[in-house]
Amino acid sequence: MRTLILSAAISTLFFVACNSNGNKQETSSTTAENTEMKTNEIAKGPVQGILAGYLEMKNALAKDDDKGAADAGKEMVKAFDGFDKSTLNAEQAKVFADIQTDAREHAEHIGSNAGNIEHQREHFETLSQEVYDLVKVTGAGEKLYYTNCPMYNNNKGANWLSETKEIHNPYLGKSMQTCGSVKEELN
Amino acid sequence: MKRIKIIGLVLFIVLIAIQFFQPAPNQSKQVEKMAITKIVQVPQKVQMILSVACYDCHSNNTRYPWYANIQPGGWWLASHIKEGKSELNFDEFGSYSNRRQQSKLKAIINSIDDDTMPLSSYTLIHKDAILSKEDKMSLKNWANTLKDSLALRN
Repeated sequence: MRTLILSAAISTLFFVACNSNGNKQETSSTTAENTEMKTNEIAKGPVQGILAGYLEMKNALAKDDDKGAADAGKEMVKAFDGFDKSTLNAEQAKVFADIQTDAREHAEHIGSNAGNIEHQREHFETLSQEVYDLVKVTGAGEKLYYTNCPMYNNNKGANWLSETKEIHNPYLGKSMQTCGSVKEELN
Repeated sequence: MKRIKIIGLVLFIVLIAIQFFQPAPNQSKQVEKMAITKIVQVPQKVQMILSVACYDCHSNNTRYPWYANIQPGGWWLASHIKEGKSELNFDEFGSYSNRRQQSKLKAIINSIDDDTMPLSSYTLIHKDAILSKEDKMSLKNWANTLKDSLALRN
């Protein structure tokens, strides 16, 4: 009887532990809502909401701030979901459709990976490429610098978009803050 | 002592009761038209690795272990499979956008490098899913080559 009680108790515990995971994420996503309102207010270009989230993410990663990057990721997901495609012309819409699902997924992953900044940076690399491709056709509404860090990922290198000419490396963070050079200026 | 017996009995009844709630098995039995093997070249060796070490959670067909029929073990599996499939489903790979396909291949390479996949809780039971150095190399080389060729299609 005793072993039976024990095994029943363990299996119940096991079940409870497995199910408690799901609830956590929902509560934390509400905080991103307020910050998104702010970024929408200063909207200029058609992809401003997405770009604002991206730049916030980039700045957080440059400061080794995984939580800030996660918040920005959640903000970007909202920006993608609420995006008004009617403002885009045919060529822009094509690029947007091309990157949409993938970029949103990268943002979502970064949003759910606070505590694992290296993983966030892996996703940020592809996301950067996609946001670059997007603003290249839509325009950014502000001056942007497409910057390259040759050292990241075993010297394979990686790029990012920045609102400043000054280098704040989001891949290597504080350990290599100024590593990188501007490849291209966008408007 | 009487109380413990009652609690034990209640737990036992709950344990029996939950056995009646079996999750729907992840076994489509259909021809997967969007499967990665239908869309791109997958060498035999890589196909073997994928089906042994990945498909249980990342395809529409799972080979279930014995404890899948015992709850809550089956529920636990079902939630893992659901999550795995939403991240990457090799049977739906063909329906992904070109960019997403590339991202998934990159993620495969990264998760092998970081040793995050296959999950350690999975390889604990499925010893055959532990990837050898050679397996890892062939999987990574294949993913890399495929990723590069997809990038050219843009």
